[in-house]
Amino acid sequence: MLQLIHNEIRLQWYEMRQYWFETVTGFALLGGTFIGLFYGIKSITASSAEPTSLDGLVFGFLMWSFATSAYGSISKSVSNDTQRGYLEQLFLSPAGFPTVMMARIIAEMLQTIVFITLLGYATMWLTENWLEMSFFSFYLVMFLGAPSLVGVGFLISGFTLIFKQTGAIHALVMFALMGIVAANGLPFNIISVLPFTPAVSLARSFVLEGQQAEVIDVLIVLANSIGYFVLGLVAFARCDKYARKHNLIGQY
Amino acid sequence: MLSVNQFSKHYGDFTAVSDLSFTVEKGDVVALLGANGSGKTTTINAICRLVDFESGDITFDGKSVKHSAKYLKRVGAVLGGCRNINWRLSPIQNAEYFARLHNAKQRDFRPFIQQLLDLLGLREYQHHITRTLSTGNKQKTALLCALAHNPNLLLLDEPTLGLDMETVEALEHTLKSFAQQGEHGFLITSHDMHFIDRLCQRVIVIDKGKEIFSGDISTLKDQLYRYELNIEVAADVLPLLLKEVPKHWPSNIAMTPTDKGIQIFYNLPDAVFPTIQWLNDNAIRPSHLSINELTIENAYRTLLTTSKAH
Repeated sequence: MLQLIHNEIRLQWYEMRQYWFETVTGFALLGGTFIGLFYGIKSITASSAEPTSLDGLVFGFLMWSFATSAYGSISKSVSNDTQRGYLEQLFLSPAGFPTVMMARIIAEMLQTIVFITLLGYATMWLTENWLEMSFFSFYLVMFLGAPSLVGVGFLISGFTLIFKQTGAIHALVMFALMGIVAANGLPFNIISVLPFTPAVSLARSFVLEGQQAEVIDVLIVLANSIGYFVLGLVAFARCDKYARKHNLIGQY
Repeated sequence: MLSVNQFSKHYGDFTAVSDLSFTVEKGDVVALLGANGSGKTTTINAICRLVDFESGDITFDGKSVKHSAKYLKRVGAVLGGCRNINWRLSPIQNAEYFARLHNAKQRDFRPFIQQLLDLLGLREYQHHITRTLSTGNKQKTALLCALAHNPNLLLLDEPTLGLDMETVEALEHTLKSFAQQGEHGFLITSHDMHFIDRLCQRVIVIDKGKEIFSGDISTLKDQLYRYELNIEVAADVLPLLLKEVPKHWPSNIAMTPTDKGIQIFYNLPDAVFPTIQWLNDNAIRPSHLSINELTIENAYRTLLTTSKAH
């Protein structure tokens, strides 16, 4: 597993280095969009004078960046590898395709930690809106909740194996993630059954507002995480089985 | 090493492969031939566990591939030509990535990849981005990646597709030198008969999923027709044509009466002269007369006719 993670980190590094322009513009585009949004909201809303609203905006942006990364770590790579045409080579790994994907997710998450920390400080510096938060606590909660998004990623990746063109679903999920990071999944309510929502609420109360984390809340986050992760893996395994039965892997 | 035993694959009512059996041992270079849609790629995909199958079994060193993916450590494959690698990376980055994916140790694959770069003539392109390479070099990169972890069994699905003669020869040379070491077995699908002729010791031809030939390449060449003659005549001349024309042909041909005339599959281009001469001598003017060189797909199909004729 360690070798596979190392391999995926190398792959990311090669791609980031060789396509540095793409890396830099991607970073700048994301940061730039947020800055525009931040100042736009600040200038037109009456509540913008309240620092807590702007804190929430910055914090929400960091959570959304993390969420898209966690979801995209698998769904984006399956989709890209399908388009690029070497997906079946990943299936030829003796470790098995899901293990290769797990290695890729871990590598992607490590990259995300660096990326979001940098982005977080850059955003706070540019907006002059400094959050009093611990990045360690932030990542702790995010990683508790991340498996739910990985599960959704596995689910969509399963569809990609069968249907190949799932760009519209990806766009929809990305859009839905904006709503999810704004939702309130704690204390337990109907929203809590949506993926990642309890983690979002726990992060907001524990990391941003400095409140004590309740054990029951942590358990809800874990249950949500494990539930969606298992659901995603089972759905992926079924799609994988269907794709193998109908010879769909590698047919672009 | 690899044993395919009565392998069958169905998609609903459609039979993709039926009761196919063959083996590939170390040192073997085996060709799996057939027309498009004959079941070659399905067979290769099943060996790679990319396709589930209902009946029969595929074993690697006696163990069924259905139960474990561990054997894939010893299998390399070029599937779908040169698209099967990451074009955003260089050849050496690709090779190292895929070697690690097969759980190979760095101390083993690094020197081996260096040897392969020379053998494949990719040394000067090793750090170029694959997307910028020629089709031939992309194909060589795909082969480099498939070989990087030093597999015992190499599966090559249409490895010569889109390659020029020079690159095909280089590929052939590389595969021969590997086969001679006796440590690797090759299973190759290709439409390039010349490539197969020079490289493979054993050939399996499948049509509509069924084996129609299994044997050495020279036997296949004897049975495979290259030309087709079609003669159509007026109805009153037809009985004479069907009676007399066969007398002007050697035995190793396949002749089939049609509604208006006769269809003959044959090998040597000048074998047609006596028939043309006979038609002329007897003042028979065909309503249709054509000589066609058979495509490889149609040539394979004549094997069915041949087996009936023999």
